[in-house]
Order: sequence, then structure tokens, then C-alpha cells
Amino acid sequence: MREKSQPSSREWLSFIITATILFFLQPILPSKMMAAEILIMALPTLAFILLLGYTGQLNFGTGSLFAVGAYTAGILLSRYNVHVLVAIVAGVVMTCIVASVMGFFCIRQGGLIFALLTLAFNQIIWFVIFQWRSLTNGADGIWGIKRTFIDFGFFSIDIRPSFNFYILVLIFFLLIFFFVKRLIESPFGKVLQGMRDSELRATAIGFSIVTYKWVAFVISGMICGLGGALFALHQEYVGEHLASWVTGGEIVIMALLGGTFVLQGAVIGSGVFIFLSDLLNRFKFLAMGGGWLLILGAVFIVVVMFFKGGIYGGAEGIYQRLKGKILFFR
Amino acid sequence: MISLSLAGLLSQIFNGIQFGVLVALLATGLSLIFGMLGIINFAHGSLYMLGAYLVWSVVQVLDIPGKFWFGLVFSFIFMGFVGFIIEKFLLRRMYGQPVVYMILITFGLLLVIQQGVGMIYGTNPLPLGIPPFFRGEVNLGLFKYPLYYLFTMCIGLIVIFAVWFFIERSTWGAIIRACAEDPEMAGTLGIKTVNVYTLTFALGAALAGLGGGLHAPMIGGLQHTIGGLIILVCFIVVVVGGMGSIRGALLAGITIGVIRGLAGLFWAPASEIVMFIAMGIILGFRPQGLLGKKIST
Repeated sequence: MREKSQPSSREWLSFIITATILFFLQPILPSKMMAAEILIMALPTLAFILLLGYTGQLNFGTGSLFAVGAYTAGILLSRYNVHVLVAIVAGVVMTCIVASVMGFFCIRQGGLIFALLTLAFNQIIWFVIFQWRSLTNGADGIWGIKRTFIDFGFFSIDIRPSFNFYILVLIFFLLIFFFVKRLIESPFGKVLQGMRDSELRATAIGFSIVTYKWVAFVISGMICGLGGALFALHQEYVGEHLASWVTGGEIVIMALLGGTFVLQGAVIGSGVFIFLSDLLNRFKFLAMGGGWLLILGAVFIVVVMFFKGGIYGGAEGIYQRLKGKILFFR
Repeated sequence: MISLSLAGLLSQIFNGIQFGVLVALLATGLSLIFGMLGIINFAHGSLYMLGAYLVWSVVQVLDIPGKFWFGLVFSFIFMGFVGFIIEKFLLRRMYGQPVVYMILITFGLLLVIQQGVGMIYGTNPLPLGIPPFFRGEVNLGLFKYPLYYLFTMCIGLIVIFAVWFFIERSTWGAIIRACAEDPEMAGTLGIKTVNVYTLTFALGAALAGLGGGLHAPMIGGLQHTIGGLIILVCFIVVVVGGMGSIRGALLAGITIGVIRGLAGLFWAPASEIVMFIAMGIILGFRPQGLLGKKIST
């Protein structure tokens, strides 16, 4: 049990190291906007990992919450020309409301039924987005989202260059990442993990499972919404395909690729996914008919079967083994 | 304005039942697999899609009368074999590990099968006409109904009944139920539980193939994404009917099918979403589904 609430120096160190590594991600990747996309997609993946890894719930509905955030921000930016930060906050608030309703119905059921209910809600949200043409433009999606300036009154930041935008995304990502990191170390997070391991015991101690799961679900949903709002800025376009269950499925793949029991898995997973999909799409015969998804699916099966901890877990295992060998030879 | 005639209403209800029976055929397989392995098979829709493509291929390649029948049988057997392979080489290695991983494997399979078919057959819709023998309509008194629809309804009901009989009344079925109930005890009685698992999964996959084959002529054009559309409906039917219950799957299939058909009569786009709402309502009152046993998790 930790007693102090201030971050320790060790945590500050890990914060600085993570920030530095991610800072240099943008220049080394082949296309300029890829790094921002990786960090943006890492947000819903992080939200998914928070639910699966720390409360044991398989959420197939992350795509729709992501889309709610994206649509809210997109509509506000393109039609009402609001401040960028206001649009992002509005996206998060809207997702919070939707996730509260969704969570209210879903969290009462465990395991499979939870997964299917989130899938059902995902479809309902997709349907609403697809049919509410006056608000969302239906299948056409929202065009004309302008990524321009963030105005702070006395000075403004231009987020049109990919690097500046990347820094904006990086700041949001680091905030969320370390918020989640501290959340799972907090008493609240410990209760969640206790519940994951034994609901019966957690209830017997006197925790209200429903409330805890609900709060966790809403927090996870808000992170998805933030990702969505940033995604709208990134693409300058929002389409209904974001809300389809395929997006949720992609997020599941990213999480599993990276590793579901560590938060770093989110960045690794989304990084590998986006990098691979970009790479595979460069081959003509794979890009046609979505053949890259075939390879991705195969990679996914192998990861699930042989590397339960995802890439992060696998790398750590190899590191431990090497460390053992080196010690042995010494 | 909606013009409601009795004939229109009845034919829509018939459509609903027909769709429901077909979905129930898939849901039966899904339900069997769930009862045995405890997993939701995300790849079930892809198996259905593969079954439809197999029938299409057989109809294209063969040039004999009754090639559609041959295609159906081929699809049933071949998909059973595919199910056998999947269970034997993928899922079997995962027993004893958290169920989530098995679900995720089937999700990966979904991608592989779907995109594989997309690459082999291309992404353009492939039309498969209704077999010549079944063209035309039957007069059912108030309205005329396509013969093929009636035919698939009957075949579906017969197959579901046969599966139910096999599971509930035959010795093999008793073995399957024993393994689902208490694998350890069944093992001590000398039953090779692993083989029973394989058999069940193969049977489920074969039913998906048959369902796909039967459905194929009714879909305007086959596409590699049709599995994704039907699998959601199947999930709803399995959950609403009660996990692991064949009768529940049939009941829920017909209920959901009719609700879907009637909703489509009023506002066409609503037909897809009303199923989810129905599922939410039914699960709110009976979390275990219409005919399911209480789940203790």
C-alpha cells in the first residue's frame, strides 16, 4: 500500500523518459502524420486495456464511443467554428454522457453478455449516427473540419504543421497515460483489480461492484472520446465507419498486439498496427480486397496463442531470459 | 404513408419467420459451440460466408442437374472439415486458459477467412440465382409466396429438429451433453472429451456452412462481408434465446425475425436496429434469455 499521494521521483523519471522517447517518434516515422495517429489510436486502446486488463471486461463498443467524441468535436468545429479546446472538451463531455447510459445497461452483466451488450450498443450508436442525416450527414460524414490555431487570447499556437499538432497530441496523451497509471495504483484501481480477480470477495468486503465498474466504464469511455475528438482534428474528416464494430475490433487487435496487462501495450500495439497497415498497404496485391487485414489477422492469432502478454510481454520475457544468461556466464 | 394490407402484413410475417429459421440454423451451431466450449465463436459468420461461396463455386464448376443440392451437401461436409481443423489446431491449444483468448482467436479467424475469401473471389458481388427447380411462387390463399423461401424454411426447421433430436435423444447427444455438463466426470467414465469438443465444433461449423448455402441464392450478390452482417443477428438470437438452448434459439430466431420484418414494414432502416432494442429489453427482464438456464458467473 502506498501512502503518499505525490508522484515519486521514480515516476517522474519514467515520465521524462516516456516523453523523450515519444517526442522523437514523429521525425523517425515514414509519414509525417503517422506519429500523431499512433498516439491518438493509443487512447481508445488504453481505454480498452483499462477495462480488460484491470476490470476483466471485454468491451467491443469502444469504436462507437470514439466516434461520438469525433462527431461532437467535428460538428462543433466545422459548423459553429468554436475554439479547438472547447470542441475537444465538448467531445469528452458528450462521450461521458453516452458512456454513462451505455455503462448503466452493460456493466450489470459479466463476461460474454457484457461483450455482446457493448456490441449491441455499438450498433445502436452507429445506427443513430448513420440515420440522423441533419446532424451527422449520414454516410457522407463531416467535412470541412479545419485544424487551424489554438487561441489563448494573448498568444496563439498554430497546429497546422504536423509537428505542432503532434506536440498537442503528445501532451494530451501523456496527461491521460499518467492519469491512468496513477489511477490503477490508487485505492480505486486496487478495488477494480480485486474485483477482476474475485467479485464475490470484493462484494463481501463491502464494495459496490456496480458503482466501481460503472465509474471505470465511464472513465474508459471518456478517454475514447478524447481520442475521437483528436482524431477529428487529425483527419479533418469524420465518417460513420468510425462507429462500426470494425473500428472496435481494430482497437481490440491493437490492445492484444501490444499487451493487455500493461498500459505501455497501448502505444506499442497501436504503433505496430498502424505501421504494419501502412507498410502492408504499400503492396498492391495486399491493398486490394483488404488483404493486409488477412496478414494482420494471422499475426493476431499467433500473438494470442503464443504471446499472451502481447509484444510488450514477449519482449520482457526475452529480456528476462537474456538477463539470466548474462548473469549465468558471469 | 404506410398502406397496410393483410396480405402484405402476412407475407412480411412469413419473411420474418423464414429469416428467423435461417438465423436459428446458424444460432443452433453457435449455441452448441457455446454450450460445449463456453465461447462465442466470432468466426461463425465467416464460416457461413464461406459456405455460401462454396455453393457458388460448385454451381459454377459443375454442370449437372441438381448441382445446387450437391453444393449444399459439399458445403455441409467441407465446412465440418474446416471446423475440425480449426478446433484441432487452434482452439485445442487454448483449453484451460481464460475464455477471452479463445474468443479473440475466433475474432482473428474472422479476419483471416473474410479477407482470404475477399482476395480469392474479389470484392465484387457474385450473384447466385435461385435454382431453377424452385423458381416461382406458391399461392397461400391470401398471398403468393416465393417457393424457394418456403423451401428453405422447411429445410431449416427439419435440420434444427434433427440437431435437437441428435443432442437431446440420441446416445451421442447424451455424451455431448455430459461433456458440456461436467467434462471431468465424463472423462472418468471413459469418454474422450477432447474428441467430443472437436465433433461439436465441426457440427456447428457444418451447420453454418449449410445455412450459408441455403441463404446464398436469396442474397442479391455474395460479398465477403456478408458474414459480419449476419453474425450480429446470430449473437442476438443466441443471447435472447438463452445460451446453449436449441429450442431457445429457434424461438428467439422466429421472434426476432418477425419483429425485424414488421419493423421493416413501417420504416425500412429500423429493421436492423429494432433487433438490438428487443435484445436489450428482453435481457433486462431475463438476463439468462428466454429459455436459458440461470448462468452462475
